[in-house]
Amino acid sequence: MKLIITDIEDPAFLVEGEHKIIKPQRNIHHCIGCFGCWIKTPGRCVIHDGYENTGIDMSRCKELIFVSRCCYGSVSPFVKMVQDRAISYIHPDFVIRKGEMHHKRRYQNVIELSLYLYGANITDAEKETARSIIEGNADNYDGLVKDVRFYQSMKELEGLVL
Amino acid sequence: MRIALINGSPKVKDSSSGILLEDLQNFLQGRCEVTKIAMHSPDVSEETIKELCSADAWVFAYPLYVDCVPAHLLSCLVQLEDRRCMRDISIYGIVNCGFYEGIQAEPALNVLQNWCTKAGLCWGGGLGVGGGGGIAMMSGPRPDKGPKAPINKELEMIADEILRCRTRENHFVSVAFPRFLYRLAAQMGWRQLIRTNGGKAKDLGWPGGQQDAGVERCGKVSAR
Repeated sequence: MKLIITDIEDPAFLVEGEHKIIKPQRNIHHCIGCFGCWIKTPGRCVIHDGYENTGIDMSRCKELIFVSRCCYGSVSPFVKMVQDRAISYIHPDFVIRKGEMHHKRRYQNVIELSLYLYGANITDAEKETARSIIEGNADNYDGLVKDVRFYQSMKELEGLVL
Repeated sequence: MRIALINGSPKVKDSSSGILLEDLQNFLQGRCEVTKIAMHSPDVSEETIKELCSADAWVFAYPLYVDCVPAHLLSCLVQLEDRRCMRDISIYGIVNCGFYEGIQAEPALNVLQNWCTKAGLCWGGGLGVGGGGGIAMMSGPRPDKGPKAPINKELEMIADEILRCRTRENHFVSVAFPRFLYRLAAQMGWRQLIRTNGGKAKDLGWPGGQQDAGVERCGKVSAR
């Protein structure tokens, strides 16, 4: 399954094959750093606002695709809120990976990550930051980076096939 | 000189970001006016913006969330980007991460630096702190002793640079505590916490590869 997390309410891109799209449909609460998804309801966020199951969705996907406005090299606040709320995809324990401390994996699936950022005047520094973040995500999820692309506007995403 | 210390942790109390800002304030003590700003939620009030705009320098302290800035703080940065009252303000960042290596905080500092460029503000430099999960338990009577000593040394340096209105390169530091012991202590901590919540140590890894398994609350999990 492809899991797409986007801040576009009415996405114009196309998705081939089995997929799920998480997009702004209702108000989302930000992660409050309580670690309840590790120590109270392992695997699921304790905030019940319709966005509590992303960690479980991630365990069922082969590809995780972010389609988002670029905010200083990061994804947008909405996409980041979904991502922050899904840390239960990984286990709280640490392992040493590539010489650095990262989280142990909870599930067996290996995720391929793609990042599609749009926005006017995305600077080279922002692009470099975006690449380092998605590579960091791949290290922490124990997955792989598949694709990183930048678009000058949301309109350029029309016809994009994921 | 007026300095705004901005706590960008989503936790209202007992955050590592709050502890780091308190330590920084100790090094600034008596040499400037300090304003404490809380950014625990995704919205910034007009009152907060007014207070921020009266400062000469801002110091953001925040935790590393999924290799980046926490979402609620990112939302605050987006709201602040176009405010016209922000002029000639120097921005500094202190990022603490649960991982041992402070360098893992670099992308989160870069996001803040990129925000400065977009907002037309002056980037003063940043500090990435590794071993943030242990900071609350590592405070001692002397800042130059104990596992937090290298962090305190960096905070003292950043305080001097803020007061001198100087720009610095990003620095990265870890707690003076062996990595394998830090990892072990964290693992013991998680087991203790899950037991406190009525679960068992093995629930930490649940559903552990069973991809179709549902999720139950700790203490109600009886069979797998």
